Amino acid sequence: MPIDDREQQEILTGASRLKVIFDDTIKFVTKRRTTLVAVLILCVLLFIAAAGPGISPYGANTLNLTDRLQGPNASHLLGTDNFGRDILSRALSGTRITLLLGLSISAFALLIGLPIGMLSGFYDRFGMIVMRVVDAFMAFPAIILALSLMAIFGKPGIMNVIIAVGIVWAPRMVRVVYSSTLSLRENTYVEAARALGMPSFRILVRHIAINLLSPVIVQATFTFAFSIMEVAALNFLGVGIPPYVASWGGMMNEGRTYIVRAPWIILFPGIFLATAVLSFNLLGDALRDRLDPKLRRIM
Amino acid sequence: MLSFIIRRGFGMLISTILVITITFILMQLIPGDPASVLLGSNATPEQVAQLRTTWGLDQSMPVQFYRYFVNFVQGDLGQSLFYQKPVLQMIGQRAETSIFLGIMALFVVIGVGIPAGVISSLTQNSWTDNVLLLVALAGASIPSFWLGLMLMILIAGKWHLLPSSGFTSVFETGNLANLKNLILPAFSLGFVNAALVARTARSSMLDVLRADYITTARAKGLAERVVVVKHALRNASIPIITVISFTFASLVSGAVVTENVFALPGVGSLIVQSVLKRDYPMIQGIMMVVAILYVLVNFGTDLAYASLDPRIRYH
Repeated sequence: MPIDDREQQEILTGASRLKVIFDDTIKFVTKRRTTLVAVLILCVLLFIAAAGPGISPYGANTLNLTDRLQGPNASHLLGTDNFGRDILSRALSGTRITLLLGLSISAFALLIGLPIGMLSGFYDRFGMIVMRVVDAFMAFPAIILALSLMAIFGKPGIMNVIIAVGIVWAPRMVRVVYSSTLSLRENTYVEAARALGMPSFRILVRHIAINLLSPVIVQATFTFAFSIMEVAALNFLGVGIPPYVASWGGMMNEGRTYIVRAPWIILFPGIFLATAVLSFNLLGDALRDRLDPKLRRIM
Repeated sequence: MLSFIIRRGFGMLISTILVITITFILMQLIPGDPASVLLGSNATPEQVAQLRTTWGLDQSMPVQFYRYFVNFVQGDLGQSLFYQKPVLQMIGQRAETSIFLGIMALFVVIGVGIPAGVISSLTQNSWTDNVLLLVALAGASIPSFWLGLMLMILIAGKWHLLPSSGFTSVFETGNLANLKNLILPAFSLGFVNAALVARTARSSMLDVLRADYITTARAKGLAERVVVVKHALRNASIPIITVISFTFASLVSGAVVTENVFALPGVGSLIVQSVLKRDYPMIQGIMMVVAILYVLVNFGTDLAYASLDPRIRYH
């Protein structure tokens, strides 16, 4: 961060500082049309997730056998499935679980990736070993590793999905943190801190960790996008979260038997999923360009 | 070049050993005693004890790992519990479908991705460029299995243009027309990656097209086609090759789900069945074979870099 920026931030306090952050955010969001669209969609998804059952017309698991396999109509906007369950209500309910899983998986990847990545970027020998292991982990294609982990854990479950997909994405986070730490530690202020006798641990926390914020936020956004796609794939294959929890991937799986008679069972959850993934990808692109243009080359 | 190959080859060896080690460790995480898990709840204690001895589970961890490693090097990946056949043989039987699917998807990735990216870069900011960018952006966010299902509904279900599922061996029947069954799966699998390749090709071409030697090439009156293909595309190819090599992992991942969608008898559907049936030796075998293939592909990519850009050899 340039010095005049920091001085400026020290002068600005309280309300005026908040205003600067607010103005910056508005400027970032409105600068590109795609960012604006992405943020708006994410706000809607967040609202849906927060509001929960309150805004859905029917219960996600309410059976209504007389209304089964109905196409989109006035009382069921997106149609119904083979049990007469309302597709819209189920898709809305799936939004909450999707965002929750995406958040938990990104947090899991961060929790492992940040400390390990920092230490391996800071200590060469340790880094050499860790990066070899990271490379080996990344040799397993994402879905194969996640599937195998689900088999090892033994049964479908939300916690198991978080850990399985988290383990898949943690090595990628380690790699991003590692390469950023490598370049950060070459900075003069790190050298100065060392010359002043600051212990390594404090250098890591006070000088490196703070500056890792940008690459980590960007990577976490992409992790979010990829992980919700992967969770959907696991649910689609029937090895993700338990079938009684409505999820986009699970809905598409259930709809396969009725693919000709009732294509809407598959169509709409897929649109929800693609929209969510697209918004996170767009947000990730925009954040990357804004926070750390150099990152484009690493990732 | 030789020292480069040796150095990379050594790295590849280490990665392979680590892949085997990780798989071994992960399999130790299966809760409970593997022998009793695998024999099911009806097994007598004697049967369990016997299996433990056969597998060497009663020995110390390092000894177990050593045996496991030696078996692997000898090409023995164990016995599938469900199929009662050697794991490697099962993978071999299923490989044809997956390899054909992979190659055809790669054709889509390269054949759609690179031309789209190049056209996009040559017509920067025109409506062609914008449309292509938009499609690429959306394409990269669509789950391939959903795209597959949609294509199945429209092209196979509604218009009956292509078969919707299944595949029989080309080698066994000698009928190349069987590959028709793989067109839809290959397209849905390849499209997502083609989108990524197109975006990379575009930005990489845009960087290169601004270079002085392109201006020079044009100034000396070379045909535009020669400038674009020989001067620009070749120099823009390193990032494009990187992305294409990344697509190996993502094609394999995608193939797991795509094979499932289109009921194709490939390695991808084999691992899904094995996971649902808790066929651990099979899962472990597929994990290792795929990861080692990935390591080999990476090695190949490194060699391709080095031959395209001699500077890389000295790093």
